[in-house]
Amino acid sequence: MKKIIFWLILIFFNQCILAQISGVVPASKSIAQTSVADTHNWAAFNNPAMLGYVQETELGLQYENRYLLSELSTKSVQAGFSSKIVNAGLSFSHFGYSLYHEMLVGISFARNFSDKFSMGMQFVYYTAYFNASNSYRGTLFPQVGLSTRLSSNFSIGFNAFNPFQSNIHSDYTIKRIPSVFSLGTEYFFSPEMVWLTQIDKEVSSNYRFATGFEYRMLQNLNIKLGAYGSDYLVPCLGFGCNAGSFVLDLNSELHPLLGLNTFASVKYRFSK
Amino acid sequence: MKRIVICLFCVFIPGTFSLSAQDAITTTEQLIADIFEQYAAESEVDIDYDTFYEELMYCAENPVNLNHTTKEELEKLRFLSVSQVENILTYCYQFGKIQSIYELQLIEGLDMTDIRRMLPFVNVGESGETIKKIYWHDLLQYGKHELFFRLDQGVETKEGYRFLPEEDEGATETNAKNYLGNSLYHSLRYRYHLKDRIFIGITAEKDAGEQFLGSTHTGYDSYSGYALVNDIGIMKSLVIGDFRANFGMGLVLRPEFGMGKSSYVLNVTSRNSGLKKYGSTDETNFFRGAGATVQLGKFDLTAFYSNKMIDGDTVNGVFSSLDKTGLHRTISELSKKHTVSQQVMGGNATYTFSNFQIGLTAVHTILNSKLEPEKSAYNYFYFSGNQQTTAGIHYRMRWYKLNLFGETAMTGNGSIATINGFIVTPISQVSLVTLHRYYSPEFDTFYATAFSETSRINNESGWYLGTEIRPFRRWKIAAYADSYRFVWPKYGIDAPSVGADYLLQIDYAAQRNIVMFWRFKYEEKENNLSGTSSVMPLVVPIQKTSLRYNLSYSFRNFSFKNTLEGNLVRQADDAPTHGIIASQDLSYTFSTIPVVIDVRYQFFDAVNYENRFYSYEKDVLYAFSIPMYFGLGSRYYLNLRYNLNKSLSIWFKIAQTVYADDRESLSTGNETIYGNRKTDIRFLLKWNF
Repeated sequence: MKKIIFWLILIFFNQCILAQISGVVPASKSIAQTSVADTHNWAAFNNPAMLGYVQETELGLQYENRYLLSELSTKSVQAGFSSKIVNAGLSFSHFGYSLYHEMLVGISFARNFSDKFSMGMQFVYYTAYFNASNSYRGTLFPQVGLSTRLSSNFSIGFNAFNPFQSNIHSDYTIKRIPSVFSLGTEYFFSPEMVWLTQIDKEVSSNYRFATGFEYRMLQNLNIKLGAYGSDYLVPCLGFGCNAGSFVLDLNSELHPLLGLNTFASVKYRFSK
Repeated sequence: MKRIVICLFCVFIPGTFSLSAQDAITTTEQLIADIFEQYAAESEVDIDYDTFYEELMYCAENPVNLNHTTKEELEKLRFLSVSQVENILTYCYQFGKIQSIYELQLIEGLDMTDIRRMLPFVNVGESGETIKKIYWHDLLQYGKHELFFRLDQGVETKEGYRFLPEEDEGATETNAKNYLGNSLYHSLRYRYHLKDRIFIGITAEKDAGEQFLGSTHTGYDSYSGYALVNDIGIMKSLVIGDFRANFGMGLVLRPEFGMGKSSYVLNVTSRNSGLKKYGSTDETNFFRGAGATVQLGKFDLTAFYSNKMIDGDTVNGVFSSLDKTGLHRTISELSKKHTVSQQVMGGNATYTFSNFQIGLTAVHTILNSKLEPEKSAYNYFYFSGNQQTTAGIHYRMRWYKLNLFGETAMTGNGSIATINGFIVTPISQVSLVTLHRYYSPEFDTFYATAFSETSRINNESGWYLGTEIRPFRRWKIAAYADSYRFVWPKYGIDAPSVGADYLLQIDYAAQRNIVMFWRFKYEEKENNLSGTSSVMPLVVPIQKTSLRYNLSYSFRNFSFKNTLEGNLVRQADDAPTHGIIASQDLSYTFSTIPVVIDVRYQFFDAVNYENRFYSYEKDVLYAFSIPMYFGLGSRYYLNLRYNLNKSLSIWFKIAQTVYADDRESLSTGNETIYGNRKTDIRFLLKWNF
């Protein structure tokens, strides 16, 4: 246990060099985008290994608005299917507006091994609209994820998005797709209280460090508090609510220079 | 079941911590200074140590009875967070009378360090004590008197005390700029109190360089006095003389202790402590007049009036700034003394219901001269005029484990400031706090002191997050992150800017007599680029990283403290600069005679001003020193306390700083000392009767 805490502190310390990851990857409901080790939340295009922990078929919709500009919003939808052999997922995300937009489509598969270890893989098709040539260009690349429970209340997660640094070549330019490698931890102080940390590295950007706490204050109400930083420190606050089979989440982030980011998601879990 | 648990605790726990004087911090004075140091070391806000000390010392002499206490009373223990206070009260409500002080360990959110800090200030007496009527003869029979006399003297002669012979050329002009008085500082304080019901105090002070007996001035430079009566009928408090008014989060009225960023990461809210006596030697931050608080059911209604003279550089009925130093040593400083009349009328109505409190505070200020700052970019929105009204609404509420708090205030020009947040202790090992603030650039009021990056409450927005985690019994981790933005230029920053602060402190109580902490701090802010002739403002980031290790331990009559701190500063493209400071403290308490001796040796190497250090040092009673160090040198001191008998105690301190960086003089202007040494001597006499 002391070793776990030691490593947590070490990770916390080492992550003071921070960065902002590209907006192509949709946000997750985990506070401060700490989803890579969040075993209770499978988020599209974040860590496909978390799909392995999905026990019921689920359908989710997400909307993220950056800095109160509708042109900078990301809409995504995801569906996860649970089976005895392997879990499968389908996701779609759209970012931008008519003159410029990017889309991601993903098909993912994940397997949970005795609840100790989970691994997942996603095939992602990325496409972007180029106004200059009035055309769409796209490419396919993989995303892989791992999650390991080191003890009953501590786990770590790893995710590689576009690990082979695939890019798009248009008539006039090369559109770079971010390659993001993420490592994170999840620690449950109690069944109600979880602490998440994460470090991201996009190959051509600075590190991004994030940490957050989620607390189930009431049976149906969570509060979330966290922060992430790269060039700037961004505090985050969120709420989650369970209403029957629906799970609703509302997060906000305050960038000191650019302003408010808001995120809303709704998920429906089909009971078995 | 509860009693079984208590009995088990009483059997096993006394070995874990004891009430004896064998803790790493051995005396109550030392403990108060240690608590204050934790606040002040990282805080941007100047906290009045006199009042801080007086309040906690009073609690030590009259411990809070945990079986018969209130939120207001527990909030006097400044080191407790709002959620800790709530948890203590909730525990008492749920389980009834606390049987033993050891039971404190059963209360959520209190760790060993907190409990050790609490011990001198609390007890677990009988519950249900009622307020007794006071008779005139009680005043003489049970009242306690204290008299303090303090002297300070610098050994080296400063430039301000060197007078040229009259026959020298330019002597008249040069001598006119010198100090009028001698270099002796002395102050006198008288305190009287009858339990927590009646308080009377008088303070008189002469700063070094001020005239005491002379042609320009006779007597002490400043006098202060108060009389405070608590709980007389429906009158909750009545104060006459010098006082402070504390309501809300500090956006309207300056709180007694401005809570800012410190290693007490959860203590970010001011306490709504009402009208308080004022007996400090600080000559500016108080009201002079009268005030009263009346309790009507769930309402507390307060009204106060103040009329005092303040210092300002008044010319033809207009002045550009207030002089808050309280120093009147030269003809120039004396010419600013008491030139402006300041009248203040204010009031507060607070409604308290179960877990909810809401209050309205308003204050109106009238100056007989017009305040008109010399306008430049950074102070473009500063207040100018001779009348100002500020009002605000504050609230506090508890909802499940969530403690919500906030205040929104508005000044007469329609500008707004708002601060809101919550503290939550979801499980006993973890506490979280978040606080958002927005202070409009146009919001500029006389008495605001709230959570902020700078001391001036305007032109700032930011979000603060803090957490305290107690993963194991002897460990505590405290961390905060604060992100802020100035949308308008600030003093020293000629453009809108952003910044961030991070702090991580790990406390470890290895044994009862060995405690240590590691403190890591990282700051990033923007500053003007110095040495440039550009007409456009050039603002560059500056990063400061510091790491501190502090170890305190005791062995028999000895107690030791070691501190090691280093920092690294990067500014723009310049090469990083570093600084280092190390100190060794030794205290010895004699067994046979009532004498305590403290000795310190300190070494510092911080060549650049940006790498400067602030380091707390022990001092005579009612003095608190956090001197600043930069350059290369060392400092050492001897501090001695001797209790002559039950009534009389004396303190003596001699301290010297020696610079080893070939400098030929210290300080500037009238404070210049020729040479590389600075020596101070202090003496304090305390008489209880």
